[in-house]
Amino acid sequence: MDVFLPIAEVSVNIIAILSLSGVVGVLSGLFGVGGGFLMTPFLIFLGVPPTYAVANEANNILATSVSGSTTHYLKHTLDYKMGFMIVIGGSIGTLLGIWTFSYFKGTGKIDIVISLAYMYILAIIGTAMLIEGLGEIDKARKKIITKKKLHVHYWIHGLPLRMRFQKSKLYESAFTPIIIGLIVGFIAAIMGIGGAFILVPAMIYIIGMPTRLIPGTSLFVTIFVSVIVTFLHAFNYGSIDLILVALLVIGSIIGVQVGQKLGESIDSAGIKTLLAVLLLAVGIAIAYDAFFAEHATNEIVKIDVNNLNPLSMFIKKLSLEMPILYGLFSIVFAIVLGVGAAFIRRFFSNLRKKYSLKKV
Amino acid sequence: MSDIFKNLPTEIKKNKLKTGIFIGLSAYWGIILVGTFVSFS
Repeated sequence: MDVFLPIAEVSVNIIAILSLSGVVGVLSGLFGVGGGFLMTPFLIFLGVPPTYAVANEANNILATSVSGSTTHYLKHTLDYKMGFMIVIGGSIGTLLGIWTFSYFKGTGKIDIVISLAYMYILAIIGTAMLIEGLGEIDKARKKIITKKKLHVHYWIHGLPLRMRFQKSKLYESAFTPIIIGLIVGFIAAIMGIGGAFILVPAMIYIIGMPTRLIPGTSLFVTIFVSVIVTFLHAFNYGSIDLILVALLVIGSIIGVQVGQKLGESIDSAGIKTLLAVLLLAVGIAIAYDAFFAEHATNEIVKIDVNNLNPLSMFIKKLSLEMPILYGLFSIVFAIVLGVGAAFIRRFFSNLRKKYSLKKV
Repeated sequence: MSDIFKNLPTEIKKNKLKTGIFIGLSAYWGIILVGTFVSFS
């Protein structure tokens, strides 16, 4: 059951996209990560060109971040001030990332740069998590308990422009979240990810935020970073494909709910090791695809716009003739889907509570 | 230093899994570093 993507100009299997985005959503919900660094490589493996995979996954992340952030907003577990500081850095980082993306696109090296970026990020994170996960399992088996320092101070904590972050009960330099946001924004723009897997450890170990505020604040930051990435990709390259985005969002939002439920019953050291193995496996697959696999040169087929179905024709024409409006439409589309999903989840959650109370 | 080399065979036999993981990760890192160099040269 194939669908032709009018912007990416490739055909993809609907079931494959929905299943993969669902599986990645489950992993996101289970491990508490965005999933962008898994979904983008999967899209590339399915035949979506890397530049389109990056842009459309950024749009998908926008929807899922809005959904998660709305839930946290309703629970009041967000530090807006800290979030805005990170967003300031994130905005600058995103612009630098898009500029770098444009540079490599101009030199014709963007596909290999994206593949290499994924290989290195997955290798670094996978190796670190595997060592930590295996270490924890080893210590648990030998029943060794290690005492860790509550706070470790680095040079970054001595920077100027200190301010109070009331919600997180912190007094530290504003440069700390700004620099972190800059790095996250830069990587997000090039790789089409949310950056949560860098942001969350940075918030815990460098900024020192309380754990309960981290998921919500991280998702809040991801919204802004994804908006900028989506808009700039739509405006500069016209690479957002709304049909692909819709498929990705439907699969991932459903998957995240399942993953969160599963995560409540699995041990964390085991989860960490499994995720590390998964990251390394995906990294190996990307390395094989980039360095060893033979890629047949695809014939460039000129698509006559009049042969497309009405929806595809509308999307193609809007993307070509009004890129700014198209970019804004992509963003609003993702936000509406995300907010809608959050409220639907809340509705079913309340319904389930009422039903279980009635049973009692 | 000589102790490390002296005890290496027994340590490898005791921790086959860790040795395997170490070799696997080293191979993986070696491939991506060489691949990067080849791609940009």
